[in-house]
Amino acid sequence: MSRSRMKLGAFLMAGGHHIAAWRHPDAYAQAGSDIDHFIALAQIAERGKFDMIFIEDAAAIRERDPELASQAARSTAFEPLSLLAAIAVNTSHVGLVATASTSYTEPYGLARSFAALDQLSGGRAGWNLVTSASELEAENFAASGLRSHSQRYERAEEFADAALALWDGVEDGAYLLSNGEAFADRSRLHPVHRHGKHFSVDGILESPRSPQGRPIMVQAGASDVGKDLAARTADVVFTASQTKAEAQAYYADVRARLGKYGRGHGDLKVMPGISPIIGATEEEAKAKYRALQDLIPDAVGVALLASYLSIEDLSAYPLDGPLPEMPPTNLIQSRQQLIIDLGKREGLSIRELARHFAGARGHWQVVGTPIQIADAMEERFADGAADGFNVMAPLFPSGLEDFVTLVVPELQRRGIFREEYEGTTLRTNLGVAQPGKS
Amino acid sequence: MLLGYALSPFGHHPDAWRQARDGRLLGFDALLDQVSAAETAGFDFVLLADRVGLRPVDDLSSVAVPFEPTLLASALATRVKRIGIVAAAVTAQHEPYNLARRFASLDLITKGRAGWMVVADGADAAREREYVDVVKTLWDSFEDDAFVYDKVAGRFFDPSKMHIAHHSRTHFSVRGPLNVNRSPQGRPVMAHLLDGGNDTLAFETGELLLLQARAAEDLVRTAGRTIKAIESAGRRREDIRILASIGPVIASAAQDMNERLELSGEDRTAQPLLATRLLGTPRMIVDQLQELKAVADLDGFTILPPTLEMGQRFVADVVPEFRQRGLINDGSDATLRDRLRLARPVHPAVSLREVSR
Repeated sequence: MSRSRMKLGAFLMAGGHHIAAWRHPDAYAQAGSDIDHFIALAQIAERGKFDMIFIEDAAAIRERDPELASQAARSTAFEPLSLLAAIAVNTSHVGLVATASTSYTEPYGLARSFAALDQLSGGRAGWNLVTSASELEAENFAASGLRSHSQRYERAEEFADAALALWDGVEDGAYLLSNGEAFADRSRLHPVHRHGKHFSVDGILESPRSPQGRPIMVQAGASDVGKDLAARTADVVFTASQTKAEAQAYYADVRARLGKYGRGHGDLKVMPGISPIIGATEEEAKAKYRALQDLIPDAVGVALLASYLSIEDLSAYPLDGPLPEMPPTNLIQSRQQLIIDLGKREGLSIRELARHFAGARGHWQVVGTPIQIADAMEERFADGAADGFNVMAPLFPSGLEDFVTLVVPELQRRGIFREEYEGTTLRTNLGVAQPGKS
Repeated sequence: MLLGYALSPFGHHPDAWRQARDGRLLGFDALLDQVSAAETAGFDFVLLADRVGLRPVDDLSSVAVPFEPTLLASALATRVKRIGIVAAAVTAQHEPYNLARRFASLDLITKGRAGWMVVADGADAAREREYVDVVKTLWDSFEDDAFVYDKVAGRFFDPSKMHIAHHSRTHFSVRGPLNVNRSPQGRPVMAHLLDGGNDTLAFETGELLLLQARAAEDLVRTAGRTIKAIESAGRRREDIRILASIGPVIASAAQDMNERLELSGEDRTAQPLLATRLLGTPRMIVDQLQELKAVADLDGFTILPPTLEMGQRFVADVVPEFRQRGLINDGSDATLRDRLRLARPVHPAVSLREVSR
């Protein structure tokens, strides 16, 4: 029964998801560059039977202004694949999902890296495919600047197909050792020779076939082309939805696209983000939330908001006034709309929106007791808004530790989350079909 | 005497897999066992050379490690604690920003034990030189003491100690800064395998130079040429470590020498790495290596065991002979630079400030 148990991802980020987490008195400010911190977080997630941990990425610093960059812990981070390779050999069941861009890498190198992560982890790797929408990333790779939204997705489509072909290039049993006659069984090798518009790929991956068939494909695209790419190629989609109605609409939309590609509803898991702030009482949870919000410097919050809106600068507008009207851009269209809608719906000022988004960065925020949080999750899970959730703890390790010791047992008691892992591969635990096998 | 261990699942002889016939040797645990043994023995670094950048087109190779080397390095890093890890990466296969991030991350994960074996395309020397310059500039994005973590002031790093590359020359356009903290050892160590072709980049920028030749006499000549070349490039011999690749064929006594001879024969297929074959008992091998080191002015050797058994025998029988002669570093050096006795690079902004003072 695919509907009966929800899937859980632990979205890890240095000291925490809250933009000011690193300044909290309990925070470990050096967390972002300490591998032992991340290994410990992954082990907590595994203790909580999470399906996966998830690492986001940007191939650039996130603020153009050094003054702003110097106030944000997210300015520096581990490269995700390197980080997960180290975590892979210190965990045994939790899935490992790394973000990587189709705009600034090549299919062969990327497919090879994920194949390595998959082998190192015994079949627990996942790739969150992104197309990289920021100017700052573009400036690290080319003088030509940022490609348009449609050009990026055209490249992504070709990229995804090349990666899948490379992973399928070596069948099970292709390495022949016992007869001593040949090192490889050529009849089980399918070298890739593709010459498309964006890539020329010739070669075979020097890796046995993945224990889970192929790495899991994850996407977070919310534009029309993004949702189509997800419906065609992804096993999991991450999404940001504030209200249940938005989440339901997204859920129905993505699932409706699956039929076009001959896929069933169970083949794609929709996992919106949730930012839980957990207290023994509602009052305690609210106090925790306020303590974090008070640590956000206005300049940092407003700059983050501006970057989500894809506009240069918001500082010309009064902090306590509404958002200015703005034209659509070719960047992350979906998140921009979400912010504009929220501002209008709730009549929020720039400062209020900035603080709101700085907290959960556009994701669904739930402040309350473990039972209240479990109620909220169960409601969306039961009402066709989610197959599971990507959990974004505001503070690490305490926010994840609280979730694992307080919320997970409550979900298990209700029979909507696993007591034990179903298997050792991410594909088995997610319950999505292995390619080529029914 | 510096010692490196070149990792290969079955051994470096192309036919070694026929002896082993065990698929488990391709797995991480078996590779970790080899690296742990090398660490315990006192090796200074392990070399993850892969196929040295040759992309397999239609077939699999028995001498390639079935993991992308930089990620294998990351995985090994948390399971071995002292040995340095030098991983090959090909400039033609990574954008400089991505490569700089991988190795800066690896240096954090290894806690300062990472090295990059630069596999460059000799055909375009100017591009390769620019590539290495970009990577080094990105590694210098933050000064050693840039990160202050001042919670009260809300200051994660000192912005005056962040340096934006703004690199824009013939081949690359890279804004920077790198979004990874400063490397624990300043910059990862830069290694080069000299192939006798266009090695200018290695002479100008390499810190750990790995020589390879079939015969010992050729090694001596190559070492001489290398030292001359680095001096012509305006660098000092003492700032560079030069190691030669050796394929040891160890015999415990003269009588089983005959069966070992089989391994010393010419390879039937091309090997990714070339090594000088040394034949003999452990004592004979150490004698030869000491002599070679002195004659060719080397700092040490990279060992390429032809088979896993030979690797084990090298650790069990040859290393104790080295240790007895006081040639093994059993110190508690924290970083690869320390082990190699290479100086920590001074950040360019710091040297500038010192000059203008």
